[in-house]
Amino acid sequence: MNFWEFLESRHQQLLTDTLQHASAVFQCMVLATVIGVLIGVATYRSELAGNFATATTATILTIPSLAMIGLLVPVVGLGVAPTVIALTLYGLLPIVRNAIVGLRGVDPQLVDAARGIGMSRLAQLLRVELPLAWPPILTGIRVATQMLMGIAAIAAFASGPGLGNIIFRGVASLGSANAINQVLAGTLGIVILALLFDAVYVLIGRLTIPRGIRA
Amino acid sequence: MSSDTPSKPSASTEDRPAELRDKDRALVAELERERQDREAAPATGERVLDRLTWQRVAVVPAVVAVVLLATWMWYRGAELDSIAKQSIEGNVWPRVREHIELTAISTVLVLIIAIPLGIALTRRALRGAAPYVLAVANLGQAVPALGLLVLLVIWRGIGAETAIIGIVIYAALPVLANTIAGLQAIDPQLTEAAKGIGMSGSEVLRRVELPLAVPLILAGVRTALVLNVGTATLATFGGGGGLGDLITAGITNQRMPVLFLGSVLAVALALLIDWLAGVAELLLRPKGLEVRT
Repeated sequence: MNFWEFLESRHQQLLTDTLQHASAVFQCMVLATVIGVLIGVATYRSELAGNFATATTATILTIPSLAMIGLLVPVVGLGVAPTVIALTLYGLLPIVRNAIVGLRGVDPQLVDAARGIGMSRLAQLLRVELPLAWPPILTGIRVATQMLMGIAAIAAFASGPGLGNIIFRGVASLGSANAINQVLAGTLGIVILALLFDAVYVLIGRLTIPRGIRA
Repeated sequence: MSSDTPSKPSASTEDRPAELRDKDRALVAELERERQDREAAPATGERVLDRLTWQRVAVVPAVVAVVLLATWMWYRGAELDSIAKQSIEGNVWPRVREHIELTAISTVLVLIIAIPLGIALTRRALRGAAPYVLAVANLGQAVPALGLLVLLVIWRGIGAETAIIGIVIYAALPVLANTIAGLQAIDPQLTEAAKGIGMSGSEVLRRVELPLAVPLILAGVRTALVLNVGTATLATFGGGGGLGDLITAGITNQRMPVLFLGSVLAVALALLIDWLAGVAELLLRPKGLEVRT
């Protein structure tokens, strides 16, 4: 069976796995973005807290993803739970760091001006600081998504959802004729998903970054 | 001739008096801020890991030591059945050693390949190719490490050698991108000045460009080490050994103690290697570059 025949005969399964992969990464990215921006907002004003948040999330990134999943399985069991927790944790790092950098990079004069025209603290944050910090945060989201695509594949070893399952089916049947088709389909599927997500982020950037602050 | 290049550390730790530590700390914090400012906009696709500060120098080994001690005490008291015993006994140190070997060999190879290639791609003859290489490198980041490794196994057969090739391919791209970025970021006025006082092309490279690019190259070394220690856990899926063996044995046989032990050791090893690389980064960075003018 060549690669195209393989794709044709398994397209139902492949489509399901691809959709599950995309949806797992997407949902964890939404979660990571919300938590990450909240952490950024809570800590960027304090030198100590901001640096602590950056250092902690950077330390999480150094942990091998298979080991992270290995530590989660005894606590939360196999399946979706360790996948979601691991993906969200790894997704946090670039977002927290870029949120803090972006918020700290906002010109204090602009915040002063916002206060001067009578904006509340919340309005300053929502209408001045976060929009100005949005481009680096979006960059963080892009970097994190690309990383999560690969980590989600590894999470399939702990019975997580997605394209990793096809790759591991190939690993289990190494030497058989279909092994290469399975691994190739899983790998290419992830590459295509990563590129699609990236294209969507470029589009989101076009639509949401005000023309005045575009690089 | 090159004895006065700034790439040698001008001060080592023992002759740095205590009152200078605070100054160092302030400088490191300052540098960190500047670096973050620089990084804020163009941090696309690269995984730059954050530099170590002196506070973290003390914290990380202390935490790792406590965790390892706690794990050891738990292990001594744990009741293991025969399957778990079989997976663990006599199987821990060889796996740790394999893991360190995989990481070390692949890191050396990554540096031997990526840094000279990065230098070549910033020379005049090849400069035009650099954007294309970087675009391919960014695209390559979208390939999952697991898929890459398993495809290599299908192509070349199982074993440590295949695992090392996979690890090297995966880490070479970010280090290459880092090296090129480091050399490209050098103020052209400095290289012009060096040429102006009569330096040849290789002298400019050796005495001006490379010393100035040391911080970014060191950051690349650290990135490679951390990526490699992580990818090395996947070597188990290609029969390459390492601590991934314990983790996969734990999951496949449903023996949580084996899984837990393998994971804790992999985490501890990764944190220690990142810590060592961070300390090396702090010590080897040319002192003249700590205050940017």
